[in-house]
Amino acid sequence: MSLIETAPRFAVSRRIYNDENIHHAELERIFRRSWLFVAHESEIAEPGDYVTRRLGIDRVIVTRDEEGGIRVLLNSCRHRGTRLCRADRGNTSHFRCSYHGWTYANSGELRGVTFQPEVYGRDFDKSRFSLFSPPHVDIFQGLVFACWDPEAPSLLEYLGPMAWYLTTVLGKFDDGVELIGVPARTLIHANWKSESENLSGDGYHTPVTHATAFELGLFATKSDLELLGEVSGPRFTGRTADCGNGHTMRIQRLPLNTPRPAFHGYPEELWEQIERNLTPAQVEVQSCLSVGHGTVFPNFSFLENFKTSVDGPGRHARYIRITLRYPLSATLTEVVWFGLRPRGASEEWQRLSRLGYLRTNGPAGMFEVDDLENFVSISQAHEGNVSRDFDFTLEGGLHGQAAPAALGWPGDVVDGDRTERTIRAFLLRWHDLMEGNPSQSQSVTVSHGR
Amino acid sequence: MIPALQVPGRWGVPERDFADAMAHAEASAFLARESEYMDSRRFSEWAELVDESFRYLVPVPVTPDNPLSPPFDPECLLLDESKASMIQLWFRRYEKGMYEIAWGENPPVRLRHFVTNVRVRGTDDENVYDVRSNVLLIGVRQGDAPAFLSAERFDLVRRTDTGLRLLRRIAILDETLLAFPQVRAML
Repeated sequence: MSLIETAPRFAVSRRIYNDENIHHAELERIFRRSWLFVAHESEIAEPGDYVTRRLGIDRVIVTRDEEGGIRVLLNSCRHRGTRLCRADRGNTSHFRCSYHGWTYANSGELRGVTFQPEVYGRDFDKSRFSLFSPPHVDIFQGLVFACWDPEAPSLLEYLGPMAWYLTTVLGKFDDGVELIGVPARTLIHANWKSESENLSGDGYHTPVTHATAFELGLFATKSDLELLGEVSGPRFTGRTADCGNGHTMRIQRLPLNTPRPAFHGYPEELWEQIERNLTPAQVEVQSCLSVGHGTVFPNFSFLENFKTSVDGPGRHARYIRITLRYPLSATLTEVVWFGLRPRGASEEWQRLSRLGYLRTNGPAGMFEVDDLENFVSISQAHEGNVSRDFDFTLEGGLHGQAAPAALGWPGDVVDGDRTERTIRAFLLRWHDLMEGNPSQSQSVTVSHGR
Repeated sequence: MIPALQVPGRWGVPERDFADAMAHAEASAFLARESEYMDSRRFSEWAELVDESFRYLVPVPVTPDNPLSPPFDPECLLLDESKASMIQLWFRRYEKGMYEIAWGENPPVRLRHFVTNVRVRGTDDENVYDVRSNVLLIGVRQGDAPAFLSAERFDLVRRTDTGLRLLRRIAILDETLLAFPQVRAML
């Protein structure tokens, strides 16, 4: 059978979470074709700054060259293939290989060949041996992406309507956002897709997986809400946006009526910036946000969360997080965690925001402990040949209703907070690429009969 | 730099000489008791060993580009907990009526602390000791193979009328890519 079937019902092979042959095909057909996030611009602010990352699983150096341009370079000497750069980050104008000493400028050009006249001759043409680098590197809202496919569309085309939603998260402050320090890294025994799917917009798992977070006061209670404004109803409401190409987002709103847009969890001195830097429709996405999260296909996710009482009763904060997943094998994933902060926010608020992040959605946060157990167990449950031969169902939310067009939100937007349509969109894009069809898909309306 | 991470003897900060053998024996016994309560999930007894102003900090480990820099980011934390946050957001998840829905703690990861190389120094406050130790933490999730975390701990311990109390713990991790069932652990 095909790994994904859409009729008569939406069925997905369980094999895709624990099969090394599929994993190898993913590296070739997905990670070599897609735009991949590698770094936040603020990590390499000055010329010579670099960080080491992976594109898929290939090791790269992301650096700002002496002219201020951002370079993504394969972390491997052109001579014998030695890994050039061993630190997680640093600052240097040149990279020198530890084996025979070939030296590269941070633009990637080969500048020095040790004992060149004696060993390689005076006529050796160094210009032919620049470090390998992906043909496309581009930046959107501080996010550095790269792509190995020479035929790939531009980053903006690739992101499509997702660019508009990413702007609501990252483009609303006068001075932008910056990474706090250095990303944390964890190794998990799960398939990389599980977290991509979860963060694509799974609002269905929240009340179950994260039940203790409700019990322990991390979700706004009725009394929290009453202190924030006029409560409009008993339930948080949600919407999901399918932006095409496998990119999706979920937006959950606090049940509040407010006379003007309200961005609870941010200090009020930032509210005016948010309203000024976003369009009215984008302000609508941000106002009274409870949580917003999404996945940029394939392995990049973002999350903006308002959590209550993160440092004692009444101490609420919003925070922004990015996660990136390296697909090390079918059942092993490295997760890279980026905590972000608005530039110029007060120290006191930054501390509260950081506590909110670390205690809930940080690498050691309560939500992650519970999510991780699900992701690991999915791969473990499919170690056997028999279990892998079955499929699973993914039809939740097929009855969702389109959101009012007057909202002006791009993509295919549907009302309802508990749906699996974003996971279907992710997996349909995955399937298109695995079947060798890399052409751009438009927003796929899987919620209406597909 | 997060001020608390400027520990004496490291990265340019001067330190004092060791305290006497009695102080070492006392501190070792205190750390052993503290680990015993944590490993056996006797959380209310653990909390009694901890000062009201307790802070637990773990900076994000990093491989720097030279041997002189600290192996962590001095501005960036992985864990930042207080006594209140640990009671409310960690320990309450093991309570009856709660653990059935605390999926990450049921069954719990079995933790075992191996604490060695205890070093005790005085501080400017005669009632507060600078207590350092090496810790190997083993975590076992369900039937999985054991996983390991090793770290150096920089504790501040206060002498009170009712015994020693843990004021602050900083744990500097040795690994940068954390392969542990839950990073949410008291080292």
